[in-house]
Amino acid sequence: MSRPVNTGTFIAKNALRNKRRAALTILSVAVSCALLVTLLTLQRELTIPPESEAASLRVIVRNKVSLAQPLPAKQLATLDRIPGIVAVSPFSFFGGNFREETVTSFAQFAVDPARFQGIIVEGKVVDGSYEEFVKDRNSCLVGADTMKRYNLKIGEKMRFTSTFYPVDLDLTMAAVFQGTVDDRGVFFHHKLLDELLGDPGTVGTWYIRVASAEAANDVIARVNKAFENTSAEVRAETERAFQMGFVSMWGNVKVLIGSISTVVVFTLVLVTVSTMSMAIRERFRELAILKALGFRRRELFSFILAESFGLATLGAVIGIGGAWAFWTFTDLQSLTKGFLVYFQVTPRIMATGGVVAALLGIVASIAPAVAVSRMSVVTGLKTLD
Amino acid sequence: MGPSGSGKSTLLHIIAGIDRPTNGQYVVQGIDLTRLNESELAGWRNQNIGFVFQTFNLIPVLTAFENVELPLLLTRLSGRERRRQVLTALELVGLADRARHLPKQLSGGQEQRVAIARALVTDPSLVVADEPTGNLDSQSAQDVLSILQALSRSAAKTVIMVTHDPKAAAFGSRSIHLEKGELTG
Repeated sequence: MSRPVNTGTFIAKNALRNKRRAALTILSVAVSCALLVTLLTLQRELTIPPESEAASLRVIVRNKVSLAQPLPAKQLATLDRIPGIVAVSPFSFFGGNFREETVTSFAQFAVDPARFQGIIVEGKVVDGSYEEFVKDRNSCLVGADTMKRYNLKIGEKMRFTSTFYPVDLDLTMAAVFQGTVDDRGVFFHHKLLDELLGDPGTVGTWYIRVASAEAANDVIARVNKAFENTSAEVRAETERAFQMGFVSMWGNVKVLIGSISTVVVFTLVLVTVSTMSMAIRERFRELAILKALGFRRRELFSFILAESFGLATLGAVIGIGGAWAFWTFTDLQSLTKGFLVYFQVTPRIMATGGVVAALLGIVASIAPAVAVSRMSVVTGLKTLD
Repeated sequence: MGPSGSGKSTLLHIIAGIDRPTNGQYVVQGIDLTRLNESELAGWRNQNIGFVFQTFNLIPVLTAFENVELPLLLTRLSGRERRRQVLTALELVGLADRARHLPKQLSGGQEQRVAIARALVTDPSLVVADEPTGNLDSQSAQDVLSILQALSRSAAKTVIMVTHDPKAAAFGSRSIHLEKGELTG
């Protein structure tokens, strides 16, 4: 038994009448949306460092001249007396390559184990014992991601060849931590580094935890003032500001990725407009028939808009959903050897992709809709006669 | 009736409200159609005119039922009412059993009968047919002309048909000849 047709069925039947073209259009939108989402995610990964609540309470102190210039270890006594500081520990970047690697993607830092837990409060020991780490000067604390990636066990020997200092490190894994925004780092005793370097009496940076986020600015001011006009003036800044300083070393990656994304979207617009125009041109006569039957311009425009919007939306759902699934369920960290860690396709990025696709559907329908609205019924009927 | 280029189709298009005269007026039941805008004219066509074209002009992705139903999408009728009217129109042209067939599954004669059902479904007062038998074999042409004649005689519809075939013209109650844009008799 025949059922009454509705406008939605009519639009769907028209959109899918040339199945190959509809499939290719949907596929092109899907691939472009997936590419756009990937680029936006990459841009986010490279330009926005991960944040945690605990990070908002941390202040990093470095030499005012440059990050490469060390700070005197004796500054610790002064820092300990500054109001608003809850904990302070040296953090010296070691820059070692693990085992035979030529490039190691996780960082190693020399810290004071007795003070370290007061700084990275969000990290919890999930394997081994923190006490063992504190007791053994040759031991280290390893992030869970690194432990999993290299399949490390408690008690395992870890050798690092520094690209920064003229020394090597031979460490024993004492404990594993988890719960920070980057569970890859390796931390070891600063005293060991001092010993290997002949006790130079310097540290790379100071990591400070402040009592509250509101107090951070005051603490920064006090720290900077405390070492003003000394031989080692400092620059204190929040952990986020410090990380953004590293991001700026990428150059204007935001503009680069933004430019590529624009090209992707522009190409997508051309492809979709061309496809929609072809699809409508083939049906000029039919649209003229609809006009003759009494359909108005606005109804025909609605049909064309809905068809274009529907194809674009379907492509967007497939492309954005596919990109989300791919990047969510792919072990990107091991695939990129630790270069990309989180690569999180956020709801905001997916929404951006969706909005672009929706606008695309609307834009692609404008030219054919205008052509149809200008077409007289008689001209339309003669089109393919 | 008239030879090619005599203006038959143009006159028919103006009568049906899909074309406008270069000058002059076209008044139907007190409404000057030359003064209506596109949207008003479209509404007038939907309510008053049924079209039958030479090349059938069915929408290929819709079934016979759905093609006939198309003009009713612009009305306020419920789905049930639409269905009843569509089936009545299809029964009138003897194609109720082909309701679920796509145009490509129908013969030329059947396609034209579906087109007639589509023209009738809104119960228009005027049916215009532009060479309705031009693409049909003689038997199908006979069937189509019989239906149009029955519409005029039994259903009190005004049917205006353009043709250059004297046999087809013989089905009409009145013949008007057109030559180079002028009525000659």
